[in-house]
Amino acid sequence: MAGEDRPTRLGKLRSTFKDIVYGMASHEMARSALRTRASMEHLFILITMGDLLGVPILPPYYSLRLLPYVTPQISSWKRRMLRERDITDVLG
Amino acid sequence: MNTFVAVLLGALTVYLAYTGYARRVDRKIIQPDPNRATPAKLYMDGVDFIPTNRNILYGYHFKSIAAAGPIVGAIVAATLWGWLPALIWLILGVSFMGWASDYSAIVLSVRNEGNSLSAVAHRLIAPRTRIILFVFIFFYLLLIVGAFVGIMAAVMNGAPQAPFGIIMLTAMGVLLGQMLYRWRAGLVGATLLTVGVTLVAILLGPQVQGIFTSLNGAINALTGGQPVVTYFDPTAAGFKGADTKIMPSFVFWALAILAFCYAGSVLPIWRFAQPVVYVGFWITALSMVLGLVGAALAPWVKPAVAQFTIPAFKGWNPPLGPSGLMPLWPMLFVTIACGAISGWHALFGSVGTARQIENETDMLPVGGGSMLTEFLLGLLALLAVSVGSKGAPVAAFATGLGGFISVFGLDIRYATSLAFVAFIVIVLVVTQLIFRVMRVTLTEWLGEAIPPLRSQQVSSLLSIVLALLLVLTGTWIYLWQLFGGANQLMAALALLLVTVWLVSVGKSWYYAGLPMIFMYVTTMAANLVTAYNLYVNVFTPNIAAGRPLPVIGAGLMVLVALLLVVAAAFIGYDGWRAFARYQRQPARAPRPAPARG
Repeated sequence: MAGEDRPTRLGKLRSTFKDIVYGMASHEMARSALRTRASMEHLFILITMGDLLGVPILPPYYSLRLLPYVTPQISSWKRRMLRERDITDVLG
Repeated sequence: MNTFVAVLLGALTVYLAYTGYARRVDRKIIQPDPNRATPAKLYMDGVDFIPTNRNILYGYHFKSIAAAGPIVGAIVAATLWGWLPALIWLILGVSFMGWASDYSAIVLSVRNEGNSLSAVAHRLIAPRTRIILFVFIFFYLLLIVGAFVGIMAAVMNGAPQAPFGIIMLTAMGVLLGQMLYRWRAGLVGATLLTVGVTLVAILLGPQVQGIFTSLNGAINALTGGQPVVTYFDPTAAGFKGADTKIMPSFVFWALAILAFCYAGSVLPIWRFAQPVVYVGFWITALSMVLGLVGAALAPWVKPAVAQFTIPAFKGWNPPLGPSGLMPLWPMLFVTIACGAISGWHALFGSVGTARQIENETDMLPVGGGSMLTEFLLGLLALLAVSVGSKGAPVAAFATGLGGFISVFGLDIRYATSLAFVAFIVIVLVVTQLIFRVMRVTLTEWLGEAIPPLRSQQVSSLLSIVLALLLVLTGTWIYLWQLFGGANQLMAALALLLVTVWLVSVGKSWYYAGLPMIFMYVTTMAANLVTAYNLYVNVFTPNIAAGRPLPVIGAGLMVLVALLLVVAAAFIGYDGWRAFARYQRQPARAPRPAPARG
């Protein structure tokens, strides 16, 4: 049993080390890429589904045609659009 | 004292502070509940709110809080008061205050729906507190960039082996961005190429330093060797005070750094800021790890770089300039900022890290653990300056760190070059981020009233001009202490918010409240002492000599110091009233949302 435990512990240690290095080196880059994509997607949803927030930009006919494609993102989009922000949020 | 004993002391501090005190507070007072849904889970949007593994978050938080503070602060403090007071403050500060501030800011945000400190202040204390906090934060950021740009320009100007490495690092960062995002190259290969080339360039620094010495000479020849600005500097001539000249080459490097920050502020983040920071991370991580391990091994492998050579204690009130004050209390406590306690950490932790906390039990290892690790960075800087006591503080640090790295067989010249570049990279990374924040702040605040400020170019340039004014006209050591004062006051205000929140939910507040009182009183006093020093040591002699630019700079800094004190006084008063209100009647805590089921 002890022989089986050792590789697991070593594996855990290696995985912890990898996670920490990833957190230091790349996590911010990954978040930044996600943020850029989300901003573009949310802008698109604002243009197409703006009437959900009371900003009618596109005629409802086209919005309805696009609705099935953006449905999965609507809740996170609304959350992000309507969330109160201040200048310190830029730090995050 | 030798380096091994100091490293051992540092490791013991981390162990005792974490297991003996921090865990106790976490378990008894905060009582993290693994079944309570964190904001990352409740409000997951896949971007800002996203549950993240605790190890990743620990690395992310540590890298985001580790900047010039723990390094420069320890260097300056050891130069002014000796290494012993600096070491004691680092150990006591991080054990009783530092981890508490970082950890509590994250707890505060996690338990308040992921809100920032200012949003919590608005809700818990008073609406005006939020506005005052914004004013405070803007000037705090201005002081950070002023202090950081000043020290980087001095290093680039005075250490000709450093610029080549920095220039190549920037070029490799841009190349990495292009490779990753345009050419779709693999991360490992791109990293090996860009980091490898940067390392080679850094090691070539001493070979090509003649080019930069000639460049500095040519730039200075443009004005016939005449300075751009002359001002009375109380720190010159062995702290007796003398006229100091800002040469054109210093201005050139300050402008080059500001151009770098401008690019970081206005270019798409993937194009410049992120890849440059990424390449820089590997360089600094390599230097710091080699430095810390080298310091521990030095007494056996290379005893010449292991013994402390500067005095342990230089006095309670070392003379600084003709009539200035530099008492150990309160000035030591603002000179060493981030290695002991820091407001920047609280600010960042509440908006960056807290929104990614997956489980409440991760708050201590991420917040407290990162702060304790940063203490080790401060300790490393203190060791480096204590053993490498030649030249100006940063040069002493680079010589010391280079000595530790040379334990592994690298020639001391190359190791010192690596240490210089690592120092600049650490400072540069935070500075360019802060310019980005200042740009957004100006646009948000004044964009309505002054439409040109809506342009990111204009707001970035205005931030840069303000920073340059501080760099060219102030006396660096006071600028640093003013930054330290603002930073520590920010930490005190974060602890004040935490204290008010703890009272509002009926929990014991002493672990945050007592450090808050100490830091609040100390930093208010320190800011007033700095304002006095600036007035008697910089403003008055320069006005007598008829030098308008240093007078404007010193006057601006005095005003900022007083503004910070007044802003903090208002926040303190409002905080006290809120504290008394909640002590009479605690707020009803919102019912926690379950994580599942």
